[in-house]
Amino acid sequence: MFDLFINMVKEEWRVHSTMFGSLSFALFPVMIFGIAFMGSFLIPLMRKTLPAGNLALIVHANYLMLGIMVGGFGLLGNEVMNRRFGQASLLAYSARSLPLSEKFIFSNFVVKDTVYYFFLWVLPFGFGYILASPFTGVSLAATLLLLLTLTLSFLFGLCGVFFLSAVYARSRPVLWLILLAIGMGVGGLATMSGTNPVLFFPPLLLNSAFTWTNLFISCAVLALLFGVAIVLFNPESVGSEKTYRNSFAPLLRRFSFLPNPPFATKDTLDLYRSGSLVGQTIFSFLLPLGVIWFFLALLGPFFPPHGLLFIFAITTGVIASTMYTWITMFDTFGPYACLPVAVSTLIGSKLTTFAILQVLPATFIAAVATLSGEVTYLVPAVVLGISVSFYAVSVMAWLCGLSPNVLVYDVKVLFVYLVLVGIVLVVFTSVAFADPYFALLSVILVIPTWLLVRKAKARWDAVDPAGF
Amino acid sequence: MTTIIEARDLSKTYGDVQALSHVTLSVEKGALFGLLGPNGSGKTTMIKMLTGQTRPTVGSATVLGVDVIRDPVGVRGLVGIIPEQETPPSFLTAIEYLEFVAAVRKITDIEKKADWWFDFLDFADKKNVLCKDLSRGTRQKLMFTQAFIHEPELALIDEPLINFDPIMQDLVKDYLAGYVKKGKTIFISTHILEVAEEICSGFAILHKGTLLHTGPVTGLTARGEHLPSFFLSLVRKDRHV
Ligand SMILES: Nc1ncnc2c1ncn2[C@@H]1O[C@H](COP(=O)(O)OP(=O)(O)O)[C@@H](O)[C@H]1O
Ligand SMILES: [Mg+2]
Repeated sequence: MFDLFINMVKEEWRVHSTMFGSLSFALFPVMIFGIAFMGSFLIPLMRKTLPAGNLALIVHANYLMLGIMVGGFGLLGNEVMNRRFGQASLLAYSARSLPLSEKFIFSNFVVKDTVYYFFLWVLPFGFGYILASPFTGVSLAATLLLLLTLTLSFLFGLCGVFFLSAVYARSRPVLWLILLAIGMGVGGLATMSGTNPVLFFPPLLLNSAFTWTNLFISCAVLALLFGVAIVLFNPESVGSEKTYRNSFAPLLRRFSFLPNPPFATKDTLDLYRSGSLVGQTIFSFLLPLGVIWFFLALLGPFFPPHGLLFIFAITTGVIASTMYTWITMFDTFGPYACLPVAVSTLIGSKLTTFAILQVLPATFIAAVATLSGEVTYLVPAVVLGISVSFYAVSVMAWLCGLSPNVLVYDVKVLFVYLVLVGIVLVVFTSVAFADPYFALLSVILVIPTWLLVRKAKARWDAVDPAGF
Repeated sequence: MTTIIEARDLSKTYGDVQALSHVTLSVEKGALFGLLGPNGSGKTTMIKMLTGQTRPTVGSATVLGVDVIRDPVGVRGLVGIIPEQETPPSFLTAIEYLEFVAAVRKITDIEKKADWWFDFLDFADKKNVLCKDLSRGTRQKLMFTQAFIHEPELALIDEPLINFDPIMQDLVKDYLAGYVKKGKTIFISTHILEVAEEICSGFAILHKGTLLHTGPVTGLTARGEHLPSFFLSLVRKDRHV
């Protein structure tokens, strides 16, 4: 029984490592470790400006986000089984011919994902922090506690999304009801206690004051979320043939003003019919940003006036740039290989679809600016967020072509990505902090964006299209 | 005679696997050419290189006068291709996929042409079904349609009959035979030797990436030989050297 699990892990490793050599992939956790190790030395410096509790807050928020993203990516239920595995015929798919239940295979798949990403991301980070502790003067007990609570944060994100997406696969109205209930609960908590509800996030409570009861409750909640999700998981009902009225021609006419109408039409139908537009928007965009907003709001007092809005706009931009992975994730070059289509055409068309999707972050930033009473800075905030998003996506397209989900685990790729995006983030954060209207300067990012897209097209046309 | 496919010294290595080594081959206009070989002999790799889907490590090829290395997209614009494995995109219906292909290839009057094919291959009832819900056989019908709907001068088909039932196989064999009579050219890969003998005019035998033989089928039958036994003896001999 354990065999399936072990083999799934091996398979995941091979999928990643064959793409760019085991070494480059094996170095990935090492790099995370290095970042944490070196980052730890900045702690005493940051302490001067930020109280210790806030630092813990940021790190926990990051791990919660990571869990949400991993969950959102891996766990959109049946769709993932079908699309990620349907054609590639990996174990999750072929194990169906073995005498094992779908639920069993699926829970194995989920646990595998959890363990796999734990070793890839969570553990190396905690380890780097621990090894740095003798030098930074943080006690070992405190670092071990941090490792524990970070792991819990990660699991809260993962199991939370897993639970919600299992509900989503069963019934959308119920999902909305649950989200509404959570929203009201959080809102109620905030008004009753008069503080930011994030402070009641269990791993954070545990981090500031460890108690066994608290740990037990956290674990019980996680187990409950996980268990309910597995029970709700609905193996694909066989024999249902979905039919649709032909919507291609009318949409094609409507998109005739775009550079690649047939591709935009196909992507639109894809996103809409697979449910990934709604699913991804909730799980990979709104949910993480909602969480970030609460965490950032706590740090508001430490930013310059209006700084919070601009930090948030930039963060939204970076997250919005990952929408490129939504539209490339399940669409390999394979089906286009028999048509007169170049990889560069496909990259261009994916970026067109991406551009259309930017309506979402633009609306979102505008809404946040309005709701937080900063309508005056709505335009610079939106411009900043969207410019950053386009710039970050052009870096991604240049580095990864049509396979950003896979190539991100190549250390060299990730490193270059972090540097190129990081520089821009630092520069424009400072610029916006100096004067909110300076954020408008971010439009000059169109120049590097344009150049990078051109380079991306030339680069990926010159190599054999990858089958992933 | 016009040469439609001209491959010179084509080789392909994947890492340390030599998938194809130094294959030189030409196919004339009007031929129904069969590329024969056991599993893993390099047939798919050959078709992929001839259609600009993968670059040769060494060598060159022209297809319909177009250099496949310099203008891979141009080649794919002229020919029709049925790949070995690929399936149509999951979330379009059968008819929508054909309209997508038509929009990319700039084919006019697609509705009428598509209806002819739905009728001919007997899958009109699946017209509005999502591709991911189609059976293998129906997907193959759809892939067959997308390769021929623009009536290309040359069609390259990787294992054309593999997912079809006997009735469909018969229909498709007749269609292919009729297609080359119109002066068009077809290049198929297969390991079903009886079919190759029945419909092909010329053939080549690949084994472990090396070309063992190429020539017309008539040359063989004139000597009273049969393709299957000829193939087996050649491959067995090669296996023992
Ligand atoms: N993308 C690839 N990467 C590595 N090896 C490959 C790849 N494609 C094919 N091969 C290898 O090349 C050889 C020829 O394969 P293929 O052309 O698919 O043969 P056939 O179609 O005749 O069965 C096989 O040994 C196969 O394993
Ligand atoms: Mg093959």
